[in-house]
Amino acid sequence: MSKKQDKNIDPLMMDHDYDGIQELDNNLPTWWIGLFIITIIYGAYFVTDHLILGNQVSAEVYREQEVLMAQKAKEESKAPSVKLTALTDAASLASGKAIYMKNCMACHGLEGQGVVGPNLTDPFWIHGGSVDKIVHTIKVGVPAKGMIAWKSQLKPQKILEVTSYILSLQGSNPAGAKAPEGAKE
Amino acid sequence: MDTTQQVKVSYDNAIVKNFAWATVIWGIVGMLVGVIIALQLPLPGLNFHEYLTFGRLRPLHTNAVIFAFVGNCIFMGVYYSVQRLCKARMFNDVLSTLHFWGWQLIIVSAAITLPLGITTSKEYAELEWPIDIAIAVVWLIFGANLIGTVWKRREKHMYVAIWFYFATFIAVTILHVVNSVEIPVSFMKSYSYYAGAQDALVQWWYGHNAVAFFLTTPYLGLMYYFLPKAAGRPVFSYRLSIIHFWSIVFLYMWAGPHHLLFTSVPEWTQTLGMVFSLMLIAPSWGGMLNGLLTLRGAWDRVRDDAIIKFMVVSISCYGMATLEGPLLSIRALNKVAHFTDYIVAHVHVGALGWNGMLTFAILYWLIPKIYNTKLHSKKMLDLHFWMATLGMLLYVCSMYFAGLTQGLMWLDMDSDGYLKYPNFLDTVLKLIPFYYLRAIGGLIYLLGAVLMAYNLFKTACSGQLEVNEEVLVDANFNLENHEDEEEEGVHRWLEGKMGLFLVLTVVASVAGGLLELYPTYLIEGTKNHQVVVKPYTPLELEGRDIYIKNGCVNCHSQMIRAISAETKRFGNATTFAEDLYEHPFLWGSKRTGPDLDRIGGRYNNVWHYRHMEAPVSMSPGSIMPAYPFMITNKVDTSTTQTKLKALRVIGVPYTDDEIDQWKESYEKQALEIVESLKADGIDAKTDTEIIALIAYLQKLGKHDAIKK
Repeated sequence: MSKKQDKNIDPLMMDHDYDGIQELDNNLPTWWIGLFIITIIYGAYFVTDHLILGNQVSAEVYREQEVLMAQKAKEESKAPSVKLTALTDAASLASGKAIYMKNCMACHGLEGQGVVGPNLTDPFWIHGGSVDKIVHTIKVGVPAKGMIAWKSQLKPQKILEVTSYILSLQGSNPAGAKAPEGAKE
Repeated sequence: MDTTQQVKVSYDNAIVKNFAWATVIWGIVGMLVGVIIALQLPLPGLNFHEYLTFGRLRPLHTNAVIFAFVGNCIFMGVYYSVQRLCKARMFNDVLSTLHFWGWQLIIVSAAITLPLGITTSKEYAELEWPIDIAIAVVWLIFGANLIGTVWKRREKHMYVAIWFYFATFIAVTILHVVNSVEIPVSFMKSYSYYAGAQDALVQWWYGHNAVAFFLTTPYLGLMYYFLPKAAGRPVFSYRLSIIHFWSIVFLYMWAGPHHLLFTSVPEWTQTLGMVFSLMLIAPSWGGMLNGLLTLRGAWDRVRDDAIIKFMVVSISCYGMATLEGPLLSIRALNKVAHFTDYIVAHVHVGALGWNGMLTFAILYWLIPKIYNTKLHSKKMLDLHFWMATLGMLLYVCSMYFAGLTQGLMWLDMDSDGYLKYPNFLDTVLKLIPFYYLRAIGGLIYLLGAVLMAYNLFKTACSGQLEVNEEVLVDANFNLENHEDEEEEGVHRWLEGKMGLFLVLTVVASVAGGLLELYPTYLIEGTKNHQVVVKPYTPLELEGRDIYIKNGCVNCHSQMIRAISAETKRFGNATTFAEDLYEHPFLWGSKRTGPDLDRIGGRYNNVWHYRHMEAPVSMSPGSIMPAYPFMITNKVDTSTTQTKLKALRVIGVPYTDDEIDQWKESYEKQALEIVESLKADGIDAKTDTEIIALIAYLQKLGKHDAIKK
């Protein structure tokens, strides 16, 4: 192909040059024309389908579909509800500690002594100190005081683990503990 | 052809020389700032001063590289080639000088104002209104000089490079003017006339086409001149030039909304943005083909001529970037890549590859020419080629990995529908090694440019600038006398009609803008929403301006896309109605930190105070810079009332009472925050920046709805 074109170079020259630059007038590569036409046809089809025939999956619907699917998956995996009790095995407490260090430590302190958030090592609780109550507080948070809801980030099992770890800190009396807040339990 | 009469023409090389050195110097400055901000990400301690934080330096980097480095290179190449293609000296030497110094002055003003926090926050259009006006004036001077030169040309037909220069001038004029409509409140502060989704559409119509008509069309013009000159080969196909020129000019203007997929802009604009992007693949590749195939029969030169090597890599990068762009506009891919470093990699294939490499090639070819000498060192040139190539590869590969890693982590969910990586910081810390690699790649690229500067400086020293290059050309080409030439095609005829050509270029390029943007004015009608949000209080408004001043938008988005992984992480998707009074919109384009659209009320005031003072105290491992100066800086409230009034002029429904009693409202709200901090032992002052910023952050996503 290039041989043929080379032979034709002279007839392909345009009538003159610009500052020594000459131009050939080769045919457009077939695949290039094909590519252009395909994208145009696809564009026309897509616009017709989405905007004129209205087959669009609008962003809103798209989101709802995804949310519904996720909810369904969640419900299916839901275990029957049981009364919560604190875990005591070493593995769960270790996992709880890891979760604590990552998510809670910044506000409640390295040893649970309390920084921005309250002291977790004393028997005083603002929102209740039972397993159920602590799990609930972690789940839905206390937005007014800056504690975020963790239910979208931590699964129920993880929340129970970190609750167990927190309860294991009771009476540890760390240095620099924050003054008691809330009611004694 | 009448060749008996010849005249002497002298080409102005002095202006070319000025722009060439400006290109070299600003290029190094822009890349250096790039390396600094690249290091500020893994090493937040490098944000050592209020004026030198990432949020303020990042716009400086983008502006310096786009408008100073690439801008000066465009002018260098245009001034060199247009004179020779038209066989005429530049239209007016005074305009040339004004253009050169005016442009440098604008760059210097950008370098001063951006670190000071004077910014509109609109990407690649950050400069404030007085500078916007200066840009428009200098740009029109350039246009007048360009068109004037082509007007008095001694060559009947305009070469393809000139078509691209025209398209550049016309489109950039339109983009800059439309996107810069803003209402001034003081000498260096203004608010965008547009708001929310409308502002987003205008901004990304601008942003996308700044890439098209500032980084692409002028460089295609330069390619059409300097590639055949350097290679000594004829251009592959004239008819390909015609087709890809007109299709690029027409199609590009429609593609902007592909920057806004899954957002609250009307979906039909998103769809159009996507299909027009796909249709751009072939026209863009037309340019690449015409470049690469021009080298047919000269491939041996690629082996040993580093200038040609630079050009080949440059054009290949152009081809890659223009294939990747359309692919990224497909929703499924955009979902992963948007807001991540993938986009940073994508634009750097364009900037380091296409623009950078072609600039280097032109400089190496042109400087010896105008200084009448030989290049100082071919070895250094070869070394530079490898440094630039390896530096770029290291840069883009690390950012591609980083972007994909983070994008996939954001979307990853387990079978229960929980996010696998709910902690945003986890997805950031994964990227630290990539950030170091990127900085090394950038540094190598920068050192290559420094080597080039030395090489070119030595070259210049060894020669003498031919200030006025005198040549003999055919005497004044009387266009009228050549109508009876042999039969010519329609386009050939058009190439002899400058005015008509300009008009057609305007028509082709504004079509997309008009048809897509005009309806955004109709969207105005949707202000009849059932509920609209309450405008910001004076304190929150000042807080928002502090957010803008510090360039927070460079790392934090305020756009929760309608994707379930995103709504799980950040809350309900951002809606059209809640952004109706956002002048300007602050959606952002990169999410180095988490989205903040619904941050209000998530944390308490103390948390925000401590976090701004030292982010790691509240968020261990955070790479956010510390902002301790906000605790002592006072808010300048001398223009608060003017701000409220200005916003009311452009449609924010402030009442007379709210405007008259702004001070009472400001102090009352500030005092509430100060009191809440006092409870935790923090002694803050009501008139400091931190208080206003906290007020603003606490308002985000907590808009009180008011009935219209």
